[in-house]
Amino acid sequence: MRRDLSERTLGILLLAPAALLLAVIVVYPIATLFVNSLYGVDNANPAAGEQFVGLKNYATAFGDERFWDSTLHTVLYILVTVPASLVVGLGLALLANMPFRVKWPVRLGLLLPWALPLVFAGLIFRWFFEYKTGVVNDVLMRLGLEPLPWLSDPNLAFAAICIAIVWKSSSFMALMLLAGLQTIPRSLYEAAEVDGATKWQQFVEITLPMLRPAIFVALIFRTITAIQTFDIPYAMTGGGPGDSTETLAMYIHKTTLDFLDFGYGSALAALMFVLSMAATSGYLKYTRRSSGRSGED
Amino acid sequence: MPFGLSKRATVWIAGLIVAVNGFFPAVWILLTSLKTETELIRSPITYLPEAATLDNYATAFTAQPILRFMWNSFVVASLSTALCVLVSALAAYALTRLRMPHRNLIMSVLLAVAMFPLISLMVPLFKVMRELGLLNTYLALILPYAVLSMPVCTLVMASFFQDIPPDLEAAAMVDGCSRVGALFRVIIPLSAPGVFTAAILAFVNAWDEFLLALTMMNRVNMRTLSVGITLYQGEFAFPWPLISAALIIAIVPICILIAVFQERVVGGLTQGGVKG
Repeated sequence: MRRDLSERTLGILLLAPAALLLAVIVVYPIATLFVNSLYGVDNANPAAGEQFVGLKNYATAFGDERFWDSTLHTVLYILVTVPASLVVGLGLALLANMPFRVKWPVRLGLLLPWALPLVFAGLIFRWFFEYKTGVVNDVLMRLGLEPLPWLSDPNLAFAAICIAIVWKSSSFMALMLLAGLQTIPRSLYEAAEVDGATKWQQFVEITLPMLRPAIFVALIFRTITAIQTFDIPYAMTGGGPGDSTETLAMYIHKTTLDFLDFGYGSALAALMFVLSMAATSGYLKYTRRSSGRSGED
Repeated sequence: MPFGLSKRATVWIAGLIVAVNGFFPAVWILLTSLKTETELIRSPITYLPEAATLDNYATAFTAQPILRFMWNSFVVASLSTALCVLVSALAAYALTRLRMPHRNLIMSVLLAVAMFPLISLMVPLFKVMRELGLLNTYLALILPYAVLSMPVCTLVMASFFQDIPPDLEAAAMVDGCSRVGALFRVIIPLSAPGVFTAAILAFVNAWDEFLLALTMMNRVNMRTLSVGITLYQGEFAFPWPLISAALIIAIVPICILIAVFQERVVGGLTQGGVKG
């Protein structure tokens, strides 16, 4: 008798498929990730196969310059692109919040960068930044400036990748912030106008504080994706020149699939997991603190 | 208004900036795809193609099996979307319309687990799929993609389910529907826009994914579109007109999808943010 099932039992039955899928695709693999990270192949005796090596892979990682470099690059991408796409996204959201009579060009202008696969954005920006045939250097030369070796100089390659990431990610930010902007009551601005507040004062005193929850959610999303930066540098430079633009995600992918070193790749992936958990929990702690503060005043 | 512009002009300029920012890369590769290799290497570069040609499009279809890539993407994206929507709908129903203990906790755990960094997941998942003999099969992508979109689908559908008055469901049950029957005959049809929005988001997520697609499929004829496009480049040479033509072919389906359903997509994308 199906109708005799208690709500609780039915609830558990309905949640079971989701739980099963998560168990198979996330929980079990993650458990094996930590176990795998304790195994390795002895280079002196490869025939023996994977042996238990304890924490040796982690010790190797801490002494591995390429691990530190790729981690540093990842952190730099986060520090540059998260604030930059917030600023650009906020700008786009404010522009898109104007009273347009025809809405679709603006809406599609924000949706297209979001819907484009990351790797396509990477390829297109690689094409923009080509030394001889790219449009960026062409514009520089028309302005009377020297063309720049965008993809063969480490610093310029980093800058080019950041520009591509900001272009790709800012419109999703703009969409989220736009939804926040539209919840701010018009009457607040009207009252401020009566009091003689300038547009800038209205922005600082009304828009920014009211937008804080939306900004927070957008920042968390962006940080979680920035930690995993892979597709755009992969398409634009492949990590080069040298390993100067390689991210941690790219190094893990190379270690596991090109060098086929599962133990070491697993240890790196486990360290990456810790890094991303630290970043997100930092955010959450800050949210809780700041929401506590706003509750006081 | 700033700079002494009329209100109308300001609105026009604002719209133009947003639209140009969104469209210029697509427009530039469209122009490139119509050029010849010889026109490309001219200096200074040309903006509009001088002798527009469709040859690059013909080559794009023969140089790589792009239709096969597209078919692979389509199969993987639609099946993972179907699985994701079904599983998320059941979960969203249990979490919004049943008196369950700790539902907020269950919801947070579901979301947290599903937001696990993909790159950390990729390493062990590759091993699991290899052991199961699922590498180079659609299943190797369908299952992870269904999980990938589960948080957003669950959130979107939960917010629609919440708004349906309990009386409607009760009436269906008086008429002899079971609870599960009421879910499929009353709740889901009444939340059709929400279910549909969730499906579009899941589809685009799966269509765009690159890292797992690169990892799980190493046979050329099993590659999905996002990975397949990177095969047009040579070891050292980048035939940009050809790559551009392939990119245009690849983005047309997704452009049509978002153009037709733009309002739904925007609504769905922002739902999670506003609710969270």
